[in-house]
Amino acid sequence: MNKFAREAKLWLIAIPILLWTLLPIYHIFLFSISSKDSAFSGALWPDHPTLRNFGTVFRQEHFYLHHFWEQIWNSLWIAVATGLLTLAVATCAAFAISRLKVKGGRAVMNAALFTYFIPAAFLAVPMYKAMGSYGLLNSRWSLVLAMVTLASPYAIWVLKQASDKLPWELDEAARIDGATPLQLFRLVYLPLMMPSLVAIGTYALLLAWNEYLYAFLLLSHENTIPLAVGLGHFLASDDSPWELLMATALIYALPPAAIYYAFRRYMVGGLTAGAVKT
Amino acid sequence: MASIAIPHPASPAPRKAWSSWQTWGVIMLTPYILVFLVFVLYPVSYGLWLARHQQSYVTLFDDPVFFRTVVNTIVFLLVAVNLKFILALFLSGFFVHERAWIRGLSVIFIIPWAVPAIPTIFSIRFMLNPEWGIINSVIFRLTGLDGPNWLNNPTLGLTMAGVVHIWKALPFWTLILIAGRLAIPREQYEAASVDGATGWQKFKYVTWPSIRTLYLTSTILSMIWTLGDFNSVYLLTGGGPADLTHVLATLGIRYIRLDQVDQAMATIVVALPFVLPLVYFMMKRLSADE
Amino acid sequence: MAAVSFRDIRKSFGKTPVLHGISLDIANGEFMVLVGPSGCGKSTLLRMLAGLEDITGGSIAIEERVVNDVDSKDRDIAMVFQSYALYPHMTVRENMGFSLKLRKEKQALIDQRVAAAARILNLEPFLERQPRQLSGGQRQRVAMGRAIVRDPKVFLFDEPLSNLDAKLRVAMRAEIKALHQRLKTTTVYVTHDQVEAMTMADRIAVMHDGRIEQLGEPLELYDRPANLFVAQFIGSPAMNVFDGVFQGNSVQALGARWPTSARAAEGQRVKYGIRPEHLEPASSGAEGKIAAEVVVVEPMGAETELLVKIGETPLTVMTRGRSNAGPGERIFLAPQASHAHLFDAAGGQRL
Repeated sequence: MNKFAREAKLWLIAIPILLWTLLPIYHIFLFSISSKDSAFSGALWPDHPTLRNFGTVFRQEHFYLHHFWEQIWNSLWIAVATGLLTLAVATCAAFAISRLKVKGGRAVMNAALFTYFIPAAFLAVPMYKAMGSYGLLNSRWSLVLAMVTLASPYAIWVLKQASDKLPWELDEAARIDGATPLQLFRLVYLPLMMPSLVAIGTYALLLAWNEYLYAFLLLSHENTIPLAVGLGHFLASDDSPWELLMATALIYALPPAAIYYAFRRYMVGGLTAGAVKT
Repeated sequence: MASIAIPHPASPAPRKAWSSWQTWGVIMLTPYILVFLVFVLYPVSYGLWLARHQQSYVTLFDDPVFFRTVVNTIVFLLVAVNLKFILALFLSGFFVHERAWIRGLSVIFIIPWAVPAIPTIFSIRFMLNPEWGIINSVIFRLTGLDGPNWLNNPTLGLTMAGVVHIWKALPFWTLILIAGRLAIPREQYEAASVDGATGWQKFKYVTWPSIRTLYLTSTILSMIWTLGDFNSVYLLTGGGPADLTHVLATLGIRYIRLDQVDQAMATIVVALPFVLPLVYFMMKRLSADE
Repeated sequence: MAAVSFRDIRKSFGKTPVLHGISLDIANGEFMVLVGPSGCGKSTLLRMLAGLEDITGGSIAIEERVVNDVDSKDRDIAMVFQSYALYPHMTVRENMGFSLKLRKEKQALIDQRVAAAARILNLEPFLERQPRQLSGGQRQRVAMGRAIVRDPKVFLFDEPLSNLDAKLRVAMRAEIKALHQRLKTTTVYVTHDQVEAMTMADRIAVMHDGRIEQLGEPLELYDRPANLFVAQFIGSPAMNVFDGVFQGNSVQALGARWPTSARAAEGQRVKYGIRPEHLEPASSGAEGKIAAEVVVVEPMGAETELLVKIGETPLTVMTRGRSNAGPGERIFLAPQASHAHLFDAAGGQRL
């Protein structure tokens, strides 16, 4: 009986968690399969569920959706470019600091950590101004470079933590075997760091795909903006087509969620381990 | 065969062996150094230079929105972050139970963190719509009364922004605290059980002492980041009604949209005396462990 | 010709000196063991030879060529690490061929050399496996295979057996020694285990606090330790040592007269050292017998170790075969005079 009470207590905690977590998600789904009338009626399930909203989105048949495919492409381009660039920059830096023990590596690590701790919205203001003086505003590169700036400190930190765990003797063995620094990097370091690299690449990719603030500050041309900013435009007027907004939002949210769950094995171990040290 | 005292000839060759490793180290560090100089150091210096006029601060302090914003920010930080951590501490205790279904639930529980902010915040925004939102329509069906005008009331609006923030960030910090709890050796709990400790005593004498530092560090880190949480407020209330729900993060951006960059920078500079000590504390913590 | 020679090698980490001028010549084909307690500088010396540590002072030559400023890969050495340091993502074959691949050797040559090494080390069935699929002893052999494949001038071993269990350690000891007898490559082997040193070495350098205490063949160190440190470090169980005064032809200590064939000045304060196996139990009627009380009896089958005490001083006695003494009993000991060692009480040098 005691055991039953204990299980019941767990379930009593579980049900509110489930409702709390899923309600906004369910609400998106509900809207995306509802007609406009049904969506605005406050119903918990539409009388006639429909996929018509998605058709409207894919065929770009609404004023707010005229650039849907272009915006998706921009989002994808920016996310992939950010992921790859961050990986390249952070992996080289972590290798130089952790394995080559480059002089000044510690100072660079501290500079990176400092960047990591600046609240993102605070850095956005000077970044916006600087991008303006570089003449990069409204170029997709401005967002990519801004996201690389935001993603690489954490990436370097996590990769450095992971590389510090590789046995130092491997490097010594490779040196005795005749490896140059680049051969050590390519033939020994990269293969051994693969799980962390997957985690970090995914992290940077998702960060860029999900970003709203920097995107809407740095990009305003309708053919350079990513989908996130395009979604924000829906709120420009009072009678927005919310059912189309939610259908588009669902399409926008699915890839990152899918990627997150696909790489969850790497993400949870790789990212939370370095996130906060005790 | 004792060693013979003929010294080896002095070797004049330079130490090129090590230097090639150092050279490569510098080369591989350069990309990040460039990123830092061009996209952090220069913008920040430029921004501080823009914020040098005393007049910006006079204007800022005269702006009634600014005072309201500071109060909002402090309330948001203290209430939302601490509430979030108390919940995370409680939930982490729930999620460490070893049940297959709890593991399944934890996968669902992560969703808010795994999906982008805009869709879910917009979703909540519409849920709170006073006329058509699902919340008020449920309230009406249950009580026959009209629900509150959630986002048109500054207090309720800011509260809801806090709720959105907690909804979005809770899974991540719960995950961190779960990791902290799982790092405690099981023997400590078994020893406590043998000594006759109750559940609360186990928490007080085993769990809490082990994760206290993690809890504190995480709270401070979360405060720094929450200071930069633009989305929860902007996407939900847009700072309204009448600019009464702004926090510092959204106020700075508001000034940019009004093309008052000096003013935007001044807003940030005003916040620095509070941010920098926290950042300094975090830097100390992280580099002390190396 | 010396294969390796150290000249007045000094090393400091920051301001802390760890090696105080080591000079040592290692002959071609010799198996040299550097042995000493942890922190004595033996691994540092080996790593300096490998080119993994900077040299603070002095010079190192391999086959008469000073290598102070030569990169590890150009020193023509191979090293076996304590943790084996196998590349986890490569197969055994790739691990063993890695150095040749980096030197851009032809694949046919690499295959041939790897195959030859694998045959010597009985690794042929495992060539396509990854290190994590191997047992500790197999990994150890792969690490040696990686060294053999390079056909280097000098093999370096840094505590290679420390991660193995006791039984495997004995087996690998014999394997490494057999390998050396077959290849006759100059070998420098670092260990903290004096048994390894004794069983494997052609010559041993006993190190302590950054200095070589004694250099010599194993039995030479055992029979004629140069000082107290070597006397107590070499041999297991350790030599019994206690204070005494030289009088006549013996040492007065622990209320008894201890015979010795060594000589010191009359009345000189000395340390008297005698190994457990040279302190045999004697019958009660024997001449010059010394009484002791048995504390613990440790029968090991072929021999028996007795922990005894005279007054409050504990001594170890090793006797062949069995002993029927029990704890608390009184026995008599007969020290072998020719195997007793005398050391200066102040400096610890052999007299």
